[in-house]
Amino acid sequence: MPQIITEQNLRNLIDLLVKEAKLVVGPKLSGSVVLYEPLTAGSDLTLDALPRRSSKELFFPICEDILSYKRENGAMKVSDMDRSKFPEAVLIGAPPCDAGSPAILDAVMSWDYKDEFYLERRRKSTIVGIACTKGDDACFCRAVGLAPDAEAGSDLFLTPLKDGSYACKAVTEKGQALVAAHQNLFAEGAGAEPKPFVDQAVEKLDLVKIKKWLEEHFEDPLWEKIADICVGCGACAFICPACHCFDINDEGSTDDGVRRKHWDACGFAKFTNHASGHNPRDVQNKRYRNRIMHKFKYYDDKFGKTLCTGCGRCIRACPVGIDIAEILEQINSK
Amino acid sequence: MCKSDNIYLPNLATIEAIVDETPDVRTLRLVFQDEQVRENFSFRAGQFAEYSSFGFGESTFCIASAPTRKGYIECCFRSVGRVTESLRRLEVGDTVGVRGPYGNSFPIEEFYGKSLVFIAGGIALPPLRTVIWNCLDLRDKFKDITIVYGARSEADLVYKHELKEWQERDDVRLVKCVDPGGAGPDFDGKVGFVPTVLEEAAPSAENTIALVCGPPIMIKFTLPVLERLGFTDDNIYTTLENRMKCGVGKCGRCNVGNVYVCKDGPVFTARQVKAMSQEF
Repeated sequence: MPQIITEQNLRNLIDLLVKEAKLVVGPKLSGSVVLYEPLTAGSDLTLDALPRRSSKELFFPICEDILSYKRENGAMKVSDMDRSKFPEAVLIGAPPCDAGSPAILDAVMSWDYKDEFYLERRRKSTIVGIACTKGDDACFCRAVGLAPDAEAGSDLFLTPLKDGSYACKAVTEKGQALVAAHQNLFAEGAGAEPKPFVDQAVEKLDLVKIKKWLEEHFEDPLWEKIADICVGCGACAFICPACHCFDINDEGSTDDGVRRKHWDACGFAKFTNHASGHNPRDVQNKRYRNRIMHKFKYYDDKFGKTLCTGCGRCIRACPVGIDIAEILEQINSK
Repeated sequence: MCKSDNIYLPNLATIEAIVDETPDVRTLRLVFQDEQVRENFSFRAGQFAEYSSFGFGESTFCIASAPTRKGYIECCFRSVGRVTESLRRLEVGDTVGVRGPYGNSFPIEEFYGKSLVFIAGGIALPPLRTVIWNCLDLRDKFKDITIVYGARSEADLVYKHELKEWQERDDVRLVKCVDPGGAGPDFDGKVGFVPTVLEEAAPSAENTIALVCGPPIMIKFTLPVLERLGFTDDNIYTTLENRMKCGVGKCGRCNVGNVYVCKDGPVFTARQVKAMSQEF
């Protein structure tokens, strides 16, 4: 039988998870914007807006320590970080464009060399996704093969119903375990009719066709025409659920400090600058081209996945109005 | 430390010796501090590592010493940025971090029984020096060995002591050169750009492998010369020296099209390079 949870019980679930000392992260009003933030109570959860930034940082923090070093009695000592201290976490209330991103990033983070910082957080996290009823004109998840009701990436998937409750579907064992551990909050039954999902104007793009065009048009006037206006601010990458470029730097003195991994962006002018001064991607349109190529060709070549969830955040955030969905539609129509 | 599953954790090494190659290029000879690492560390010619100066971060260099020389590794770098300048300030006895070896390598076994032509420019000799010594240590397995090496000026030639050693060996042909205007009064090499000097030296392409490393502009003008000399794209090898950070295919920095230099390279044949998107 399908299971139902009322909105109050969903908030009660958060209260219980917080009491169990789990890190519960979900959309929360923070000042004037909604962000994914740690929830201290069920009442913190905001379900009527798409958070400004993606939920990626729960698994892949903006900045994290990857080792510490200290000189003791003249000898340098390097210490690993204790990943066993990473908390058991529940991401709750993520729409498919956010819930789906770790399922995409798992590929690069577990490929050959394993990034245990990311993977340990993934192992210790449960994602409660929610069908999206709050998108806007910038949303284009359908265009890249997701949908407002896509379960991909969610462990437990909630569908908002017209009576204010949620239909629940345990997608993975983690989702089943979450329901089983709090069975009293869930009721069996079909429930009311679902609320209407976001009505997106975009149609599903032919990603195979787009990839083929990208393969054949590395040099194309499109890049200069569209992408030269990019100012290289990196907002699109920092706000994206799927971008994963990073840098590594030390913070501290030569005797005592930490080494940190932190987000970077291929749109930044110095991202590929060689020590010699030679820069393979020396102008902005080449850097923007790389962004599109990485998402719709290179990642697919390597991992068989598109590195975009169609959340539309890059469109909303771009200070010069670059619209990735529009570019894809242009390519799709060629 | 080395048993950790943290792929970003370096091994510690002590600087055993320092050689100033030019006013701004330095070689560090490094010995791993952990006895087990010292004994078990192995690599293949062409592979690179991430070297860290604690407090500043990491830089990527090829391992410049030969895999046939055990007990230590060497890196050679030009002091151009924050990390390299901090590495340069370190002294004998100081500690650096080393992650690696990473990347692919020159298929030296496939070169057995062939002649070799090494062509390098400026600070790009180190990635070939590892192969040169590897092959010289196995000298019987190769036929003729020619080294064409040039730099902007006499002062910019690295490994001067080894150039002299190669020059004096009768089983190596060394052609060294400097750009016009770069020679001092006593310079005993040629004056001219590497591609031109290579064409004059005219090594035979028959049963020969060419290994080229240098700035992109040098490679661009060297490949047509090799073609004129009769080398095929499958017999020309180079290394791409892209900027890297993680070294293990995660950070998204070193790609040339869908090729990740840190994982698919850094060693490529000319055929592979020509098939790439021209973004390097």
